[in-house]
Amino acid sequence: MFINAMGLILADHKRITLGELSKPRALAAMPIGGRYRIIDFMLSNMVNSGISSVGVIALNKYKSLMDHLGTGSSWDLDRKKQGLSLLPPYINSVNVEKGGEIDDLTGLLNFFQSNTQKYVIIADSNVIFNSTFNEFITRHEESGADMSIMYNRDGIKYGSPSVMLDLDRRGYLRDMMVNPAKPSTTRCSLGVLVLDRELLIDLVSQSIARGEHDFSIEYLLKKYGQYKIKGYEFKGLTLRINSVSSYFSATMRLLEDSVRKDLFWSGLPVYTKVKDEAPALYDENNIVVNSVVSDGCKIMGEVSDSMLFRGVTISKYAKIKNCIIMQDVHISESVELENVIIDKNCVIRPGIKLLGQADYPVVIGKGAIV
Amino acid sequence: MARQEVVALILAGGQGSRLGALTKHLAKPAVPFGSRYRIIDFPLSNCTNSGIETVGVLTQYQPLALNTYIGNGHSWDLDRNNGGTYILPPYQSSGRSDWYKGTANAIYQNIEFIESYDPKYVLILSGDHIYKMNYAKMLRNHIKEEAEATIAVFEVPWEEASRFGLMNTDENGNVIEFEEKPKNPKSNLASMGVYVFNWEALRRMLSEDENNPESSHDFGKNIIPAMLAEGMKLSAYRFCGYWKDVGTIGSLWESNMDLLDTPEQINLMDRSWRIYSRNPIKPAHYISSGARVINSALTDGCNIYGTVEHSVLSNSVTVEKGAVVKDSVLMPGVTIRSGAYIDKCIIGFETIIGKNVKAGASVEGDCKYKNAKLCSDGITVFERGLCIREGAVIPGNCMVELKSGVESDEIIEYSFRVR
Repeated sequence: MFINAMGLILADHKRITLGELSKPRALAAMPIGGRYRIIDFMLSNMVNSGISSVGVIALNKYKSLMDHLGTGSSWDLDRKKQGLSLLPPYINSVNVEKGGEIDDLTGLLNFFQSNTQKYVIIADSNVIFNSTFNEFITRHEESGADMSIMYNRDGIKYGSPSVMLDLDRRGYLRDMMVNPAKPSTTRCSLGVLVLDRELLIDLVSQSIARGEHDFSIEYLLKKYGQYKIKGYEFKGLTLRINSVSSYFSATMRLLEDSVRKDLFWSGLPVYTKVKDEAPALYDENNIVVNSVVSDGCKIMGEVSDSMLFRGVTISKYAKIKNCIIMQDVHISESVELENVIIDKNCVIRPGIKLLGQADYPVVIGKGAIV
Repeated sequence: MARQEVVALILAGGQGSRLGALTKHLAKPAVPFGSRYRIIDFPLSNCTNSGIETVGVLTQYQPLALNTYIGNGHSWDLDRNNGGTYILPPYQSSGRSDWYKGTANAIYQNIEFIESYDPKYVLILSGDHIYKMNYAKMLRNHIKEEAEATIAVFEVPWEEASRFGLMNTDENGNVIEFEEKPKNPKSNLASMGVYVFNWEALRRMLSEDENNPESSHDFGKNIIPAMLAEGMKLSAYRFCGYWKDVGTIGSLWESNMDLLDTPEQINLMDRSWRIYSRNPIKPAHYISSGARVINSALTDGCNIYGTVEHSVLSNSVTVEKGAVVKDSVLMPGVTIRSGAYIDKCIIGFETIIGKNVKAGASVEGDCKYKNAKLCSDGITVFERGLCIREGAVIPGNCMVELKSGVESDEIIEYSFRVR
């Protein structure tokens, strides 16, 4: 409960893009699971661990993230002391002239200096799990390592970027490879790292002094020659969002009872921004099978193996199979969709048929009228 | 404190004894309604949507659930620096300590609270009606009519009129007489229990009423007639739209079913007048293969493996495979085990209906829980926190509740504390 750590969530990942879906938003703000954004899971993990100061860095496109996070009240992070800090990119005319390279490190340094906790947990925004960090920190503390990195062993199947960690017999990092052709290990970074706040301040000031602009988990892991970095295996259920197809398959896994049980019913709540939608209404002719449905939906057609976000309308005679339909989408009469991802606020006109493949879903961008 | 033009007061202290087991542990305004809501969400949301920023909630009977539910008013945007929500329980003071003796006395005891905002108008609301209403419009009408009080009225069918408190009006819409449940109604304008008063006039009436030993300190019975006797101008404000008193088992059930049968009437999907509520922290609901959900309203946290027909489910309800739920209202956290058949039931928080239980209107048989006084139309009610024994048979019109000192019987396997 009384954890001596603060959190930092990296809302973007330089190696990950979800094509059309990441056009309007940062990776962390990607809608998932009917009523969540990816960041909700990591933010809830931190809050459930007792962390009361969390920074979120977005590189760009942070409007949707800011809308979602607000003051942080949904996560009980609207506090007088610390709470949620949204750290926008640090832009000045000098570094914009340097070809658009954005220097976010000075603002970051101030943020770390203004906190008082001993440890910082830094997390990427492409992994979803439900756990606390208390054991992770205890083990880090006991090991006496400079940093600890969480990993598990199923990462490689999610495709690029897989950051493979080669650990020595004592569990310390001795080599690190990104997307190796022939991996020598199954240990794949989960992008959650803990280190001493003072050490982090040193590292960030050094990189500012050297004129570097990069700040990422990979950047810190590369210091394995200089610092002792210990691996910590996380054995719980994890989903990784590395691409459109892994986003699609992660969503489909949320239709499995065991996966939903692990992520949502473990006793640790997953917080998100509340919307006050009305309850979902089902008419007398609908057929819904193996699907997750959110508040505010109106279901009059056929839906199977799909994820419906809040406020979706499925009109009569429409057939939806294996689809992800995001907030406030209107599916008109007699529409047939299979393996399709439809972003927010789209309208699909009557009679339209769209067919994607299970490993290559069709994506309709935000606000489109098809 | 900064001055407020209007202060709203919600009367939420009544027990709601006609709801039987449903209000054993909580006050009527805190009873779940319409899948996502509690009854009090309606007046609270109406206040915030009407731009009223100071709301006092008068509580008395079993206030814990209501107090925790309202909290600081955040869910309704009523956590304000100036104004906001206030829970107002009866209190002790030097010289007197009283429970609220009636609706008027409850307001009288809170004169100090109201005075601290120095309002011009006071809006009195009851915490047990389902409706969407713009109080600002009513207030504008009150100001335009230069009335001392305005009473919202609702046209009811003539044949039902004798069940209500009726306002007899003249051709200008001014109230000339108030009749409580008359045998031969002269009007079909029922009082909705929504009043706007000029605070100055009301304050004087409340003090006079307080000193009258004959009075039962009730707005309808005492304050309104006294104002009429003094010749004050009382205006009737006609409300058109959905309005329902959910004070009985029958009307609570009916009003829930209205959401399914005539959703356009109360129109909960209208985003310009949202009904806010405290949101449960639960994932979106899941409908499995083999499940069938028709004509129903569902919300977050539900897991459906069986059949749900024409029912209203609150958050985190589980209906197992092979179970059938028909024409029912299930409150948060209810579990229906496999093979159970539930027809026209209202089931309280977290109650577990055991395997193959048969309960409700179409179930034959006799049962010691029959309760003709409170239950009607075949509706069977279950208290919260019960586990109903496997295979139990419970016919319609039953109120299944644990009597004090009893831990279990042939129907109730055990009970547990609902948190």
